[in-house]
Amino acid sequence: MSTTPGTHSLAFRVMRLCRPSIHVEPPLRLDPMDLFVGEDIFDDPIASSNLPPLISTTDSSNSSDLTFSSRFLLHHPSDSIGLSGLLVLPQAFGAIYLGETFCSYISINNSSNFEVRDVVIKAEIQTERQRILLLDTSKSAVESIRAGGRYDFIVEHDVKELGAHTLVCTALYSDGDGERKYLPQFFKFIVSNPLSVRTKVRVVKEITFLEACIENHTKSNLYMDQVEFEPSPNWSATMLKADEHLSDNSSQSRQIFKPPVLIKSGGGIHNYLYQLRMSATDSAPVKVQGSNILGKFQITWRTNLGEPGRLQTQQILGTPITSKDIELHVVEIPPVIRVNKPFSVSMVYFIAF
Amino acid sequence: MTESQPADEIPTRTTITDPLTNAFGSLNDLAPDLASLQDLATRGSWRSVLDKVSRARTASVSLLTQPHHHLTYLSYNTLALMKLRRFDEAAQELDSLEDFDSSSYKYESYPHIYPNRTGSMVPFALRWLYVVVPVKLGNRQEGLDRFYMLLGFVRDKLRQKGEANLEVSVNCWKKREIFVINCLIGLHLSNKEFTVCLNLINELISLDALDPISLSKLGYIQMQIGDLEGAKTSFNRVEEISKEGDVDVGFRNLVNRNKALMYLVGKDYVSAVREYEECIERDYTDFVAINNKALCLMYLRDLSDSIKVMENALERVPTVALNETLVVNLCSMYELAYVNHSEIKRTLSSWIAKVAPDDFDSSCTRI
Repeated sequence: MSTTPGTHSLAFRVMRLCRPSIHVEPPLRLDPMDLFVGEDIFDDPIASSNLPPLISTTDSSNSSDLTFSSRFLLHHPSDSIGLSGLLVLPQAFGAIYLGETFCSYISINNSSNFEVRDVVIKAEIQTERQRILLLDTSKSAVESIRAGGRYDFIVEHDVKELGAHTLVCTALYSDGDGERKYLPQFFKFIVSNPLSVRTKVRVVKEITFLEACIENHTKSNLYMDQVEFEPSPNWSATMLKADEHLSDNSSQSRQIFKPPVLIKSGGGIHNYLYQLRMSATDSAPVKVQGSNILGKFQITWRTNLGEPGRLQTQQILGTPITSKDIELHVVEIPPVIRVNKPFSVSMVYFIAF
Repeated sequence: MTESQPADEIPTRTTITDPLTNAFGSLNDLAPDLASLQDLATRGSWRSVLDKVSRARTASVSLLTQPHHHLTYLSYNTLALMKLRRFDEAAQELDSLEDFDSSSYKYESYPHIYPNRTGSMVPFALRWLYVVVPVKLGNRQEGLDRFYMLLGFVRDKLRQKGEANLEVSVNCWKKREIFVINCLIGLHLSNKEFTVCLNLINELISLDALDPISLSKLGYIQMQIGDLEGAKTSFNRVEEISKEGDVDVGFRNLVNRNKALMYLVGKDYVSAVREYEECIERDYTDFVAINNKALCLMYLRDLSDSIKVMENALERVPTVALNETLVVNLCSMYELAYVNHSEIKRTLSSWIAKVAPDDFDSSCTRI
């Protein structure tokens, strides 16, 4: 991160501290047998009895091995995936989206040869609309930072606005000469919209169906942890799912593995379908100027190592409920109707008041 | 020639030897100087491997007298070039070969050298390297196609050997099938094709549901996606298996490291550090625990200690700690901790140059 020029003893170093990632790097490692001999040699009974004992004497996979053999030889077949569980720190600031939590490590370094005293440190987020204070040490100033020393802190902020944000770090301190100095540093970032939710409402035989299409605008695949539709008071909602795909996986693996809902980065979509019913048929539906509020969505997604993001949509409106003056319902019709022969039908009608 | 028993009746330790020549007494019986080549490879001295192969090939009295010797040496040469990231040259080496299924590479084509032996003398490593090269050259789609074709080839071999009742061969090709599937998982995972990965690893687990290492990897993939519930289920399964019998240090550490990850995602870094410390206490070479503990310390605002943990590891156990990812993390920590971080990174870099194997990718210091 950049430091302001000038004669400051102190400088801020900032690193975005979103969650680490599990490192993936398929290695060039193999079974030594696949190097030493021809691939079909074990068809030869003499070879197949003599080779395994020979190979096992060359295997040095104990922990006192002082060579780099684990960069070359496989200890377990899954070593080839290159997923040892090693974590790696975020290597770049990356993109930041509405609904995420901005977390940052802030280190204030004294790179001068003198001690600095009475350091008042402040960190705030500035957006178009507001200033949010994240840290303020004015009530208990840092007494001193020695030459070559550091004072560290971690700040967090739930991102609730779109657009330009600035992390403003300031330090008010007395330098080696006793002079009171003020150091401001600015770190800018932009917050974008991670998702768009498109809804469609259809009424079929008095059942209201709500279809929601979630589109992922981010650069990562999003794991949809929770997508919940919260209906407004007079409605109840059930999520409709497609029939489970009956694969021939063993029941053991099906226990541990439930296919996650993952929306691909950069434009991937996933659709959700809900069936809504009026919960109380005799009470008047909530009507606002001829429209009909169905409810809203609460969405929680996760990215690497469960880094969460949360959003809720605006109120979703259904089709306006229009009341008809007369409603006609067929109550009874004969099971068989013959052509050219009259038949009777019983009907009932309702009149709206 | 001594009488040989059918392959599937051979007990593990009794060997059958031809009294005239013991063709399998040592590595050097398999190919000239193979023990030396292998030793150089395990030390990461890949430049020396290239040297050795070159000298063997240009020697006035050739060391490489039998057809399979050339193939073994070519395999080491290609692997060395790949390790040194000289992928174009590796591709050229492979291009110099005939088609793998050519009769020149069949034992039966040289009955005077390989009496009573049939089949391909091509080391499987060469088929695998042929498949990996396009990926390294940036042609991922070609690599992916070749990988799936290799999987098909391995499965055909498995069928053939099964039909011929060659039990040892069958086991060997089974191992290769699992190897190729794991490579594919890695390839898809690098490209964030998570759904395919999950399907493939699920396939592996259904073959051996009690393999705690593969189950843990499933957990890591689930965690990387963000499916924390799924990861918890996988890790719980691993822990259950660990309670069912004798467990070695490696397995116990695996269970602790999985626990640590669950604490980490819950932002309980203190408990994660505790789990990692248990691992390091048991096995001071557990560099995954060391690296991850250092990261947790950083998330606990203790940058100084996180740097100390990393530096100590490099000093104490360089042959395991000298890992590109660990160095990347340490350099990130240096960049945060020091305004003038180039100096300390240069010190690290020169130390690495003295100690690291030939294939170490020093661009990880970002100097």
